[in-house]
Formats: sequence, structure tokens, C-alpha cells
Amino acid sequence: MEQPKIGVFLSDCGKQLSEILDFDALTSFVKTVPNVTLIARGSEFWRGKGLQTIIDSIKDKKVNRVVVAESLTKISDINIAQAVENAGLNPYLVEVIDLKDHCVWPHQKTPKEATEKAKAMLLAAIERAKLLEPIEKIEFPAKKSALIIGGGIAGMQTAVDLADLGFEVNLIEKQPFLGGLSARVGRFFPTDDCAICIQPPSSDVKTITHTSRKCVYRSGFSEIPNLNILTNAKVVAVEGVPGNYKVTIEKKPRYVDADKCVACDKCVSVCPVETPDEYNANLSKRKAIYINVPTVHPQVYVIDEDACKFHDCAKCVEVCPTNAIDLDQKTEQVTLNVGSIVVATGFREFDTSAIKEYHYDDYPDVITNLELARMIDGFGPTGGAIVRPSDGKPAKKIVFIQCAGSRDRRYNPYCSGICCMISLKNASLIKEANPDAEVSICYIDIRTTGREHEYYYERAREMGIKFVKGRPTEIYADEEKDKLIVDVEDALLKRFLDLEADLVVLASAMVPAEGTEELAEILGLDLEADGFFKEYNAKLRPTETKQKGIFLCGGATFPKDAPTASLHAHSAAMKATKFLTSGKIVKDQRTAVINQDYCGDCEFCPVICPYGAISLEPTTEDHFVAQVNELLCEGCGVCVGTCPLNAIELRHSRPNQMEAQIKALMSMNGTSKPLVLAICCQECGHTAVDSSGMAKMQYPANVRVMKVPCAGIVRVNQILEAFKAGAQGVMVVGCKSDGCHYEVGSENAEKKMDSAKVLLKEYGIEPERLEMFKMVYIEGAQFAEAAKMMTERVTKLGPLKLMVTEGGET
Amino acid sequence: MMTQKTEKTTISFSDEVTSRHGGETLTACYQCGTCASSCPVARLDSSFNPREIIKLSLLGAKEEVLSRDAIWQCCSCFNCQERCPQNVEIADLIYALRNIALEAGHSPNIYSDFASALIAEGRIVQISKFVEKKREEYGLPPLKPVGVDDLNKILSATGFTKPEKTEESK
Amino acid sequence: MKSYVLFLGCTIPARQPNYELSARKTLEKLGVELVDLDNFTCCCPPPIQSINLESSQAVAAYNICLAEEAGLDIVALCNGCFESLAMANAALKKDKKLKAHINEILAEVGKEFKGTIEVKHFLQVLMEEIGLEKIKEKVVKPLSKLKVAPFYGCHSLRPSKLLQLDDPERPTIFENLIEALGAESVEYRDKLKCCGGLLKGISDDTALSLARDKLVKTTKAGADCISTLCPFCFVALDIGQLQVKAKFKEVYDMPIIHYSELIALALGVAPEELALRSHKIKADKVLEKLA
Repeated sequence: MEQPKIGVFLSDCGKQLSEILDFDALTSFVKTVPNVTLIARGSEFWRGKGLQTIIDSIKDKKVNRVVVAESLTKISDINIAQAVENAGLNPYLVEVIDLKDHCVWPHQKTPKEATEKAKAMLLAAIERAKLLEPIEKIEFPAKKSALIIGGGIAGMQTAVDLADLGFEVNLIEKQPFLGGLSARVGRFFPTDDCAICIQPPSSDVKTITHTSRKCVYRSGFSEIPNLNILTNAKVVAVEGVPGNYKVTIEKKPRYVDADKCVACDKCVSVCPVETPDEYNANLSKRKAIYINVPTVHPQVYVIDEDACKFHDCAKCVEVCPTNAIDLDQKTEQVTLNVGSIVVATGFREFDTSAIKEYHYDDYPDVITNLELARMIDGFGPTGGAIVRPSDGKPAKKIVFIQCAGSRDRRYNPYCSGICCMISLKNASLIKEANPDAEVSICYIDIRTTGREHEYYYERAREMGIKFVKGRPTEIYADEEKDKLIVDVEDALLKRFLDLEADLVVLASAMVPAEGTEELAEILGLDLEADGFFKEYNAKLRPTETKQKGIFLCGGATFPKDAPTASLHAHSAAMKATKFLTSGKIVKDQRTAVINQDYCGDCEFCPVICPYGAISLEPTTEDHFVAQVNELLCEGCGVCVGTCPLNAIELRHSRPNQMEAQIKALMSMNGTSKPLVLAICCQECGHTAVDSSGMAKMQYPANVRVMKVPCAGIVRVNQILEAFKAGAQGVMVVGCKSDGCHYEVGSENAEKKMDSAKVLLKEYGIEPERLEMFKMVYIEGAQFAEAAKMMTERVTKLGPLKLMVTEGGET
Repeated sequence: MMTQKTEKTTISFSDEVTSRHGGETLTACYQCGTCASSCPVARLDSSFNPREIIKLSLLGAKEEVLSRDAIWQCCSCFNCQERCPQNVEIADLIYALRNIALEAGHSPNIYSDFASALIAEGRIVQISKFVEKKREEYGLPPLKPVGVDDLNKILSATGFTKPEKTEESK
Repeated sequence: MKSYVLFLGCTIPARQPNYELSARKTLEKLGVELVDLDNFTCCCPPPIQSINLESSQAVAAYNICLAEEAGLDIVALCNGCFESLAMANAALKKDKKLKAHINEILAEVGKEFKGTIEVKHFLQVLMEEIGLEKIKEKVVKPLSKLKVAPFYGCHSLRPSKLLQLDDPERPTIFENLIEALGAESVEYRDKLKCCGGLLKGISDDTALSLARDKLVKTTKAGADCISTLCPFCFVALDIGQLQVKAKFKEVYDMPIIHYSELIALALGVAPEELALRSHKIKADKVLEKLA
């Protein structure tokens, strides 16, 4: 590599900086630093003429390293790096420092001290620049295919979106038929249109009238060529990396050949086994061989293997006109290779038998909203008649109980969001079909917050549905009256009511779908405290996860209604195409590098890496060494800070680069106060310093700031280096523990600093000279206060007395 | 770290209650009324409604809550506490309100009798000579001595105030 | 078989030596040794908790310390004592801050709560220490024609989070123990509802209505007697029956009998040895049904 030729570009921001800093002194100083081949002064260097100066100096081969003193570094350095790259120099051979926010504004009142600090800052940037190395971009192939887990309303919409964009889409559903929960609820609020009709939107390409109101059959969803639908199947294992996931799927046998079944129903008519129909919430029976509804997908019958008698009976086999039934079908394993995965596993009703006082488990006339929805559905088990499951008699008095298991610290503390609307819908449909029915809703609060939802509530009141503000304590059976009694206080009347009911409907809480925990394990995803999948960021990135190639949509993140599920589905589809479109993932190689000769196979780094990017691989001598997966590595450096053998380095933040900066920052003082080094993480810590400067918060110039990717990269020996180099105090500034951009970095750093303090004591250094601070990036005031506090503290402690070692060194 | 929180300058009644033993969960209540319908007393006596008592406490109606007879009508059956979806410790809360009321001089006279017996003999009911004789007849072992001194020290250390009898309270 | 410290409380020694008598005889027959300690005080049940909850908790903890020093678990007969002690025990074991606070107070009398013992209800000792099978074996006079309405009272079950005796909505321990004696356990409406015992002297009308409710519903269900676990419940339903008769002009003739008395009878203790005459509503109906 050729000798470093460093160009130093000093912007004075329209002469603002030169009012405080002595730019002549700075220039003279920089001239004396070896390897500096060019010094330029101007108003700005991150755009316009100034940027052109940088470009020209590269093209003219006057410089091969660029140091820029600019403001708003988090924005300007992106521009500068871009320009440098276009000029033909590797963009990572650039170091941008902020003299304005880190030096001029905070030290306005002490110009001489500010100038000394500026010299130290420039020296640090130059020394670092000398040691920088070019960093290349690496490409990883991404398969242009996706897997959607869950064939409900959200999953189906995401599948269609991705298929429309030309990707190969695999939609997998663990039930034998598509549709999920929304296929069973009858109608969707607030428009009361048929839920089944809405199931998947039709593909733009396939229909002329661009409406979404087509059921699976009419939409041709199942015939989209690049959409592969697997039902009766679930994911059992996932390996690989974003862009290249290897998914193992277990397909349960249908016992019916999809290519031969003509859906004639003859098998059903001869099947001798009857079993409760879970699709109809066990309100009716079905046969061991069955199909849900005629318009469902796939239109292939399936055998319930727990109910069927198989070869002891085989009547269906005999009668099938196309020999489609194969009782010897076995579970199959299928492997898929996909680039992205979308989780659309939805939610289900909470098991209200836990609320013993409501007797869901032992009174057949206490049912849930989903069960009621099946009854209301004209295609349901009772043909649309509202009856008492106990004796089949018509139900004339119906009482709803809201929040059954929701907003309840004993079961699910959250509000499930959609149950008020569901109950209002069901209550209104009942009243519409049976105007003489007496319908009451017992509630704690009525929540109708969406568009057109309030109208729903108005209409319900106009229909004569009664509202009782009170949560019932108990339901009991009155044998004499042959009714259920709902024991509730109407809080508004302050009166106790014993509501008679033929049917009590519990608006049960909505909880994550069965198998969510196992799936989260398989995919390496986190769950929130409520059991639903955790979004990467609920406000800004609600369909992404901490796994780069895995996305979320629909009720899998929290119960939601159909319009919201659709929004979510389309968002997830868009996010899932991120790298599928180009067929590759491009990353820069600012990743960790392991020196395999030093690696002691201690296993600390694979455990600490928040991205699972480090694995232990066997070498030939029956010995394991750590290896970094550069696709997964996010460049935080927490592994660097953890390795006890110094076997890992992070490119672009190598130990020698860091040490050069430390030495330079501590090489000159110029104030009457003791030097303090502040090592700040680039996310919150360093940005908090920016914020404090932008707000012109004042703190003394003896505090010198150094940027690192994550506080977790800091090693204890670097703290000691800082003290050796002249620091009297060291601050480590990171994100707040639960807001760490790299998940574990901040907390990890804190623990390390606690052990470092113990070590400092051994060296005869007061442990109070080291302190860890955690702040949010906008807390500029916090940084300024911390800097002042550390300065005071260290001043009180007096000059550092380093212990003399046996070798006579200090 | 150094976030400034503005301090409250007045203590509201609900703060007073939540700072007491047993009253900690008052503010979790969202007035669902499960406690009221679980309460065996509320159905028989319209002057007692646990939901209402909590509401009045939350609104700060201190005088009303402490001076009315209502809080003394609770039979401590704990049905409300068992069924509350917000885990409000309602029965314990009633104790806390009674503790405050008592310190302010409101309480049924019978509590004064309990306290007197407790302080004097370490038991809330006195053992008469008649009963001691009956025990002997039944072949029961004589009663062991009661730790009255220790009991009184503990009562002192916890600020136990013997309620005075009044003409007005029942 | 373990030994237990017997916690009698106040009401049993003062008003219901019959409960103590039957319990001692039962446990003797079943081989459980009972130890009586010095210095137990009132457990500080609801009436005292109403005066000062903190004092009550501290005194309850004090009593637990005495058992801890003896290294034995406590068996309580009275629901009120069970609740007061078991709640304090559970709360202090769970909440370190509370424990530290109470120990500061206990230090003044030279005691320290360590959380080393359990507080058990009489029913729990029968169920856990002895077990249904052994009890069935030892029954010599099965109560086979007797229909017993079990009345748990409030404080054997609630607050369930701390007491952990049985499922608060669908308990079975009492019913199982009744059936182990050969009797029939009768289901009746609102069986877990309060008897109003603690309102006596404060709100007698309410108390009587609640007692009456029990009598009405157990009679409707065809019970021969109501079995109790708590001396307050006993008084509310036994003497209470006479007060109900005076106020409502209704006669129920429903004997109230502690479970300890039932089991003592079934285990062969002679009725004369059990002080049954002390019941206001005579237990003759029950005795007639003894095999």
C-alpha cells in the first residue's frame, strides 16, 4: 500500500467558526503533522465548490486519505463518502469530525481552549486516517422467492402482492384449508359484508373490475402460476441467512390425492364416523372425511386421522369414482429455498374456561363470539338460527359479556381491540333477523375507534340493544326458570341486575395462534410480553423483525380487524421485496474479523453476538475456532469487547485506530482542567454530543470525544491506555439499555465498566475516574451535565498517580 | 438519570390511601363493578357498594368516605378481591380506609372493645372462669400464657391507636 | 408423621372448646402430635386489621416466629386465624421489602421472621399429612346416611393467591373429606357465600339475612346438617338460627357441626366425649344417622 497522503479540509461555516477558533493556528499546526499533503480552508466542504475541491484533490492524486472538519457530520459524511467514491477513492478512507458542534459551540466562552482542543481533534482524525484501510462491498445472493407462513386474510394478501411482482411465492397453511379465522366469522365489520368473499383480493392481472370482493373461487387465487400453496403443512425447521433460507416443511397426509379428487361428496355420504366439527365451533358434527365449505381452497377432501377408522372401514375408498383416496399416504418432508419469510399466523380466541365463574366449560349455553358467528352464518351449523346449544330451542334472550379475559390482569392484561365491534356486529345481526330478541351487552367500556365504527354503535342503540355498564361477577343456571342468570351491577344505575339469558356470549380475548412460541424458536424471533411476535420497531417498522429476512403481518403481531390486517399485509409484502428485487444483498465489509491463531474456542463471542453471526467451526485439528458470517454481522463490535484473548477486531474500528485516536486526543490540554476522554457510541452517545453542541450547551474543553460503533466494543485495556495517555477521567457514553441499537451492547458495556472499576482499584486508580452514562440521543443536556460532573469529580480527586510496575514503567 | 420530575405539593386523598398498608392498589380500579356484584352485603344494603367507595376515594371525597357508616359494612369475605380483573385488593383497601377513619375518630364502638381486650389480655375475647372450668371438664389442657407484653410492644411500634367510644357511632 | 404446633386463637378457647376438643381427639386418633406453645397471642383477624393493618401483620408474623423457633408448621382450626397467619406468612415470603419492614418492628421484641414454616388449615393437615385413603381406613362409624352441606366460610379459601388451600371457585377438599367419612356431600346454591359472621354487632340485619340465606339454600338442597370450619361461621348459623327464628319466624332445625366433630364421630369417638350439647341447635339428627 502506498504511503498515506492526507488531505485536511477545514470548513469554517461562513466564518462562524473562525470567530472562535484561531484557524491560522490550526492550519499551522496541521502543517507540522507528518503525511499531511494538502490543507484547504473554506466555508463548507460537504457540498458545492468545497466538495469539488475534495474531488479534484483525489483525482489529481494529491491525497489518498481525506479528513474533513465539517458540521452535521451524520449527514455530511454520507455526502462526502459518496463523492469520494465517485472520484475513485475507497469511501472508507475518510474521517469527518465536527468542530462546530463538538468544539466551537460548547466552548464559545473559552476560544483559546477551544482552539487547543480543535488541534487535538484534528490530530486524532489525521492519526486515525493514516491507519484506515479500504473497505469493500460484498454481495450475497438472494433467492427471488418468498415463504408466507399462514393462509389467512393477511397471508393471502401478502402472497398475492408478491406473486404479482413476479416472485416465486410459497404459501403454507397448517389447516387443511385456507382462510384462517376470517373464513369463519361470517361478516366483517363495519360494512357487514361477507367475510369469505373478501378472503383474498383478486390479483390485478386476473380481473377486470378491480375489486377485492371475490372469494377464493372467483378470484382465481389458486391458479396464479408462481404461487405455490401448501395446506395441511407446517414449518419445522429454518436454517440459513436472509436471502437464502432453507425451510423444512412437514406435510401431513390428506389421504386424498389432490390431482384426482372431483369433490363429489360421495365419500362423506358413506363415512360411518361422526365427530364434532371444529370449523363450526363444535356446534355440529362432520364426518371423518370432509371439506369445510364448497368455495374453500383447496377443493380436495381431507381425512381427520384421529377420527378415521382407516383400513378397518375403507368405505370411502370403495365408493370414490376416481380412486382418489389413499389411506396409506404418509407425512412428507419438503424443503424450500427462499429469500424472505413472512409470518402471518394470526390469532385465536382465548380459552375462557379459565374464567371459572363464567362456566364456559360446563354450561353449553355459554358460548364465545366465534361460536355465535358460526350460528349466525347462514351456511353454518344451524342455518342461521340462534339457538341454545343445550336443547336446540330458539334463543330469545341473549346477553353479551365483554372483556372476557381481556383487560384482566389475571389472564390477558391488554385490550384485544376488536371485540366491542365484533359483539356489536353480532348483536345487530341477531336483532336484524329477530327483532323480538332481547339483546343486552354488559361492558366496561365500549371501544369503537375506527372509521365508521361509531356509527355501528349508534345503530346498535337504535335497534334497541340494551347496554349495561358493568362487568358481571358470575353466570349461574336457574333450573326452575330454565335460564342462565347473569349477575351484574349496572354501575350507572347503581342497581343489581339478574339478567335472564337463553344464551350468554363471551367476547373472549384474542391471543396468539397456537404454535406461536415454537415458531418463534424456529425462526429466531422474539415475542412481546403479551405473547405476540415482536416488531422491530412498533412505530416505524411494524412489519419487520430483528431477523433481516423475516417479516410479520396481520394478527400475528396483535389482534386487528380486516382493514388493518390488509394494510399490514401490503406493508409486509413491500418490505419483503427489499433484496428479492435485485436478487442480492449488498453490504459493506465493516464486519468483525477473527484471528484464528489467537482464538481459544472459549465460546464467549457466539453467545454475546446479538445477531447470531458468530459460529464455532471445526478446524482440521479437532479444534474449534470462531467464524463470522459477514451477512449477519452488523458491525457493532460487542464481540471485540468480549473476547478475552484479543482475537477479534472490527474493520474500520480496529484497536490500533482507536488507540491512535486516544493518544492524539489526550496529547495536548490547553485548559487548567484535567483531561477527560468520552468514548461515545455512534447511535445515542455521539449523537447526544452533537445535540448538546447544536443547542449550544456549555461544557469545558478538557472533555474530548471519540466515536465508536457501540459502547460494547470498548475493552478494559483501552481504558488503561487512556489513563496512560494522559486522561484523568474516562466516560463511556452509550444508549439506554432497552434502546440499544445493537440490542445488548449498552448493557454489556455497563457490566464491563463495573468490572473495570474493580481492576482500576488494583492498579491504584480511583474507580470513580471511570463512569458509564446512558442517554437518549436528544438528551444533549445530559451529556453537557455529565461532562461537567466528571470534570468536577476528577478535579477533586487530584492528579492521577499511576502505580509503578515491576518493570519500572508507569 | 437527571430528569427533572415536578414534585406534587399537595397530597390527595387517593395518595393518602395508596401510601397506607393495604391501600396500595386503589388507583388500578377502572370501575367495572365486578366487586359490587360479587358483594353479598351490597345486595342487601344499598348504603354499601365497594365500587362506589373506591370511586369516592379516587375522586378525593375524604370526609364522605371516612365519616359514613358504609366502610364498616364490609364483611371481609374477599369475594371482590378474588374476582377483580385488575387485582385491586379491595378488602385490604377497606381495612386501610377503616384505619384512616379510626385515626380521625370514626368507628363503631365494638372496635373499642376488641382493642381493649387485645391490649389487656392479648386476646380479642376474654376467657371467663366459666369457660376455663368447662375446658377442665372436657379434659382439655390448660391454656398457655399469652405474650401480652410482646404484643403491646409491637402495637406501640406500629402506632396502634385504641379507638375511643363515641355516642354518635353505632 | 409430622408434629404440628396448634394455633387456637381467641374465639375457640373462649367460646368453642368443642371445636378444640374434637380436633385434638381426631388428630390423636390419626397419629398427629400437637404441640402447644407459650406466648401465642390473638392472630389479629379482620376486626383488628380494621383498626391497624400493619400492627396486625406484625403480630401475625410474631406468632409465626414462635413456631419457626420450635421448628414446626402451624395448624390452625379457625378460618380467621388461618387467613391472618397464612396471609402474613405468604406475603412476607414473597415481598422482601415488606419482610424487612416487619422484621424491623419484630426486632423490638427480639424476633425475626425467616419464612421457614408453613401455616396449614386443619383440612390441609388431614388431606396432605394423612390423606383420604388412610382416613377412609380409619373410619369405624361411617356416616352413611348423612347428607352434609359443606360450608367453607370465606377465609379458608380467599384470598386464594395467598392462602392456596384449594381452587376458590370449585374447591373439592372439603367435599372429599366429607365423603371419606361415608357421608354424602350436598351441593347447594351460593355455597361459597359469606355467612355474615363478622357483621354481628355492627350490622345485625345484614348478618341475619346472610345467615338465613345459607339456611334456606341448604334446606332446599336436602341437607341434614351444615358442616363448618370456622367458629364465627358456627356461631352465625347456630345461635344465628335462633335469631333468624325470632326475626323471620322461620324454623330450620339444621344442626351446625364442625368438620372436626364429624370426623371424630366417624373415627369412633363417643358422642358424649365431644361436648355436642354445647350446640344451640342439637345435633341429634346427625347422631341418629351414625351407623
